[in-house]
Amino acid sequence: MGVIKRLSETLANKIAAGEVVERPASVVKELVENAIDAEASSVLIEIEEGGLKRIKVTDDGRGFAPEDCRIAFERHATSKIHEDSDLFHIATLGFRGEALPSISAVSHLELTTSDGVHPGTHLVLQGGHVIADGLAQSRKGTSIKVEGLFYNTPARLKYLKSIHTELGQMTDVVNRMALAYPHVRFTLVHEQKTVFQSNGSGQLSHVLAAIYGVRTAKAAFPFSGKSLDFKVEGLAVHPQISRAGRQYVYIFINNRFIRNYPIFNSIMEGYHTLMMIGRYPICVLHIQMDPSLVDVNVHPAKLEARISKEKELCALISESIRSAFHRERLIPSVTGKPHSRASKPKNEQQTLDFSPTAVTGPDLSEPIEHSEHTQTEKAFSEQVHEPETHTFSSQMAGKDESATTLEQSVQDTSDVEDSPSDEPQRRMPKLYPIGQMHGTYIFAQNEDGLYIIDQHAAQERIKYEFFREKVGETAREVQQLLVPMTFDFSASEYETVTEYQDYLQEIGLNFESFGTRSLIIRSYPTWLPEGREEEMINDIVHQLIETGKVSIKKLREKLAKMMACKRSIKANHYLRPDEIQALLDSLSKAQDPFTCPHGRPVLVHFTPYEMEKMFKRVQ
Amino acid sequence: MQELQDSNPNAALAMKCTVQKDKLADAVNRVMKAISSKTTIPILTGVKITSGRDGITLTGSNSDISIQTFIPLEEDGNENAVVHTPGQIVLPSRLFSELVRKLQDEDVHIEVDSRFIAKITSGATEFSLNGLDPEEYPNLPIINGSDAFRIRKDLLKDMIKQTVYAVSVTETRPVLTGVKWMINDGKLSCVATDSHRLAQRSVSVENGEDSGTHTLVIPGSSLNELSKILDDDDEQLVDIIMTTNQILFKSNNVQFYSRLLDGNYPDTSRLIPTESKTTIDLGTKDLYRAIERASLLAKEERNNVVKLRAEGNQVEISSQSLELGRVFETLVPEHFEGDPLRISFSAKFMMDALGKLDAQSVRIHFVGPMRPIIIRPIGDENILMLILPIRTF
Repeated sequence: MGVIKRLSETLANKIAAGEVVERPASVVKELVENAIDAEASSVLIEIEEGGLKRIKVTDDGRGFAPEDCRIAFERHATSKIHEDSDLFHIATLGFRGEALPSISAVSHLELTTSDGVHPGTHLVLQGGHVIADGLAQSRKGTSIKVEGLFYNTPARLKYLKSIHTELGQMTDVVNRMALAYPHVRFTLVHEQKTVFQSNGSGQLSHVLAAIYGVRTAKAAFPFSGKSLDFKVEGLAVHPQISRAGRQYVYIFINNRFIRNYPIFNSIMEGYHTLMMIGRYPICVLHIQMDPSLVDVNVHPAKLEARISKEKELCALISESIRSAFHRERLIPSVTGKPHSRASKPKNEQQTLDFSPTAVTGPDLSEPIEHSEHTQTEKAFSEQVHEPETHTFSSQMAGKDESATTLEQSVQDTSDVEDSPSDEPQRRMPKLYPIGQMHGTYIFAQNEDGLYIIDQHAAQERIKYEFFREKVGETAREVQQLLVPMTFDFSASEYETVTEYQDYLQEIGLNFESFGTRSLIIRSYPTWLPEGREEEMINDIVHQLIETGKVSIKKLREKLAKMMACKRSIKANHYLRPDEIQALLDSLSKAQDPFTCPHGRPVLVHFTPYEMEKMFKRVQ
Repeated sequence: MQELQDSNPNAALAMKCTVQKDKLADAVNRVMKAISSKTTIPILTGVKITSGRDGITLTGSNSDISIQTFIPLEEDGNENAVVHTPGQIVLPSRLFSELVRKLQDEDVHIEVDSRFIAKITSGATEFSLNGLDPEEYPNLPIINGSDAFRIRKDLLKDMIKQTVYAVSVTETRPVLTGVKWMINDGKLSCVATDSHRLAQRSVSVENGEDSGTHTLVIPGSSLNELSKILDDDDEQLVDIIMTTNQILFKSNNVQFYSRLLDGNYPDTSRLIPTESKTTIDLGTKDLYRAIERASLLAKEERNNVVKLRAEGNQVEISSQSLELGRVFETLVPEHFEGDPLRISFSAKFMMDALGKLDAQSVRIHFVGPMRPIIIRPIGDENILMLILPIRTF
């Protein structure tokens, strides 16, 4: 007699439940996803004892038609897809038809639902079998109550963690759903206490505020980007607020939460040099794309996704985040509250620029011949000549200088209007130095308050931007080798290298076949750091495999950072007033003046209000 | 020299001169002491060369100091340089100093065009260097004060050596990174302290009587550089001119400018105890070497503490390291007076102080285990070194 038998449906469902229903949080996830797919605008999740005693999810969605109720609990029964081709453009969260049978197989489940047209249905299932069936009121929507989860799978029950852990997992699930659907109101209630609530206003920042607090939400910068196939938007929180873990980066593809390493990396790339090493941002990213470009049918939990044109998407994400930060002032404030938005585009009172650069043009070295002002103008032009040549003398000279330039620019206002106040100039506020502390920190002020600048970090940033470009320019000289270097690659690496052979030759790496999976190099470019040639060539190959191109700038970035650090002024270094001014001037021309290449802040800001608070002038 | 620069407004155009290589190399070398590769004003990494009617001037400058060296056209009947066209240029200093040193021919010919490109020829070698606009080079401070005095060069070097080592090396209290100079009634006294130790020295100066009383604080690093660029012609006098925020040292074709430090220097006179409970005379070298040996172990413990016990006409120097072991040495003092004593101090501080003294023997005054230690060379009342002891438990 044969030993192979077809499993009973109940047993099959229990096995499937092992994949779908891993822990109480998975039940919440599946039920909430169903609610969303049913176009609910408000979802209430009530939980007792971390979900072990009871999970109840109530929504105001479409509801079930009476005849659908029983079939919904059969395996592979779904309303979300109908035919083969639907699988390739899935627009709903679920589609496998597994959730309800799996959950009902391992619990005591009660369903109360109505589509608002027919009388409502009340269904009770135990271990996957319907044990009671009745009518209910016809309030539109669905409510599913799951009790005694895992009552018949003791092994699973044994491995559940504490109530707190399970609740934490559930909160995560609800947080993600709320971030994915800001227009849906979510309420999570644990033992009659509201743990989390989003207002369903459709504003992502409101959801972020509900999860991380108002301060974080205020520090979040919106970003967006668009290409032919993708639309990305989201909120990137100020780098000053960072986390040690990477789970605070939320990635949603067509409102589905996924984990994807390349996309995560592209977000980090957007934060490049703004983030301290080992710290990760809080960031919410929504990607909208044609469902046919993404395959989410990788795993029952649907956390992974296969994306077509992934590189293009990653580049778009990095660029969107980077440009969002480039519009902002990222100066950390002392109270830990990040600086408010930099530029309000409208209603800005124009101010005169008193900086010496605005007036010291070549035209001013010539005496200005206005008939009635000739006398005074002559005097001015002589004085204005002063600031061009730096003097060693004390700060008094500096004061004179600004006084003269003030009058000069008042008289000749057309000069000020002509000077364009372009975008990067305005990111960095104009700072007027006060002095230096401990030979390390520069104090400066403007109308917005006090700024403290780390002189080393500031010059490091300036030099880094210089060397970053410089190390990318490589000479074309190659060094011949007496004994060639041999590289062993895996089969797939070997294929990539041979594919890009021409490209590699252009940057001076001429790989020749040497056996099945080995390649040799008889010469290498001279710019490779001495003693680390082999390591660098391996890095180049890996970069090529990952990104399909080689960026020498990126490879040598470490070198650029090191050169910048070594060639910058250190702490304990006295600076003359004119040197401080020169440093601030070149800092204001930097692309990213707010952090050093290692992500530490260059300057911090005290607002006058903060100062007043410190001295109890205000309460 | 100052007038020379001012009289040449268009000097940038086409400078042309020939200089003797050794003279040029020597002058550049001195100026280099004032040029730092780390600066926020890029032009300050360069050396400024000005050729005028009387000779050629080189200038280097950083946050603290500026150095100007002058090569006269003729000196002691020898021809040093020929100026064909007066003018000025700023050249990258490190490169320029290296190339001058490596040139083979005796004469160096420098020619600058209006785009600030300097052609440097010597024998068969020709360099073309991209220079910078000398108009952008910051002006040196103008010093024409009458507050001046003169001092012998060897004495100046000695004074610097014996005080500057005690200045503070951190900028936490900026004024302590300098040496305080006080000129009063023909006498110059110098004090330096980093708040753990103190060094003091006074000398008589020439022309000091009419300059009145002055107190100024000169950065320690400036004085270190000054003593490096002063040549060995010890008999010569150095002219020192003071203003409120700058000091100028003039010697033998070299002008050395230093900024002065702002702020009030603490009153150190009341820190120096006048009484003495234990007085010991010891050979300077003997004591130095004993402490040096003891510090071998002290260094390992990282605190660098050496113990001294004086009792019954005998001085014991000891130190120990928990891991390595201990060292113990006895010295017989030339003279012993007062109470027995046990005290601990930093070996480094003591060696720093003793190493700066030329006298055969030193007299050390102790007031108690927690009070300052005073070291004076026997036979010279103008020098005083003070060290604070370390409290041990």
